[in-house]
Amino acid sequence: MIDHYDWRGGREAMLRFGPETGPIVVIAMPLFEEANRTRAFVVTLCRALAARGVASALPDLPGQGESLVPLETCSIFDVAEGIERASKADWEAGRALYSVAIRSGAILDKLALFSGRWHFAPQTGPELLRDLKRVKQASIGARVLLGDLWYFDVAKPEGVEDQHVEIAGNRISTSLLTALSVYEPWRQDDGGHVRTVRLDTDRKPADRHVPGTPLWRRAEPSNDPALAALLADDIAAWIARCGG
Amino acid sequence: MLPDDISTIETTVRAVLRDVLGLSEARAAALRDDTLLFGAMPELDSMAVAGVLTELEERLGILIEDDEVDGEMLETFGALVRFAATKAPR
Repeated sequence: MIDHYDWRGGREAMLRFGPETGPIVVIAMPLFEEANRTRAFVVTLCRALAARGVASALPDLPGQGESLVPLETCSIFDVAEGIERASKADWEAGRALYSVAIRSGAILDKLALFSGRWHFAPQTGPELLRDLKRVKQASIGARVLLGDLWYFDVAKPEGVEDQHVEIAGNRISTSLLTALSVYEPWRQDDGGHVRTVRLDTDRKPADRHVPGTPLWRRAEPSNDPALAALLADDIAAWIARCGG
Repeated sequence: MLPDDISTIETTVRAVLRDVLGLSEARAAALRDDTLLFGAMPELDSMAVAGVLTELEERLGILIEDDEVDGEMLETFGALVRFAATKAPR
């Protein structure tokens, strides 16, 4: 079902899957290009959750995907506010709320009141910033090596506002890029239930490592229904353990 | 470096190219020491290179600096494996 939610900057679309009562997960997609690469997979995951009796909501976030709000006007708070506003109606209805965050989506589920946060292959802000720098470097070639302050225009006159930076077709404000340099995912110490699942090719610590392909690195969007089914089982079992 | 380590690194580099570029198992298995990569393999454009490098870092637990990335290390499959081997912890 196609639904919507309102936030300070306007109205965004939101897909709903599964039952109209009981616990519901709000999906935090990765930022920027990785959202395009994982969207088909995430929809498969939502359907797999519905088949297990778990409802989900997949919101378009401000400045991302089909949003009418220009990305270059968005701060990290605007994007994260999308997750919070998307979950508001279900929170007011008294449903148990959980987030399911993919990659850099894990830095966006902080503002909403979730009973628990389930993160798949979470990427920190600094890790995402490093990826963006590498993509920007690839687009300009090796003639000029980008430095630490690569997203600032150091030559601009004092008092002139910083412009956005275009990275693989996304115009990202310097303030959002600056925010990424310090933004970390929600951790167990921050409160509530937190579960981290990673691919078994990823050496970083996690509650569970699973077999699968890093679809977010593929230039052509792809899908992995077996991985979606495995993750849906993990999420459904985790929600039951958290109290439903 | 032990032969086992080199073999592990080669397997990892092969798997990264397969997963990031979406190569079939057959194409990935056919990669040889002298198989030409950058400039010869259509899937490996400059954007895909960024994905390959980041995925290699993640799987091998290494750090690749931007000034180390040049045409030479990406010229052949063998060159990329040797580059990864110099970065991998002993």
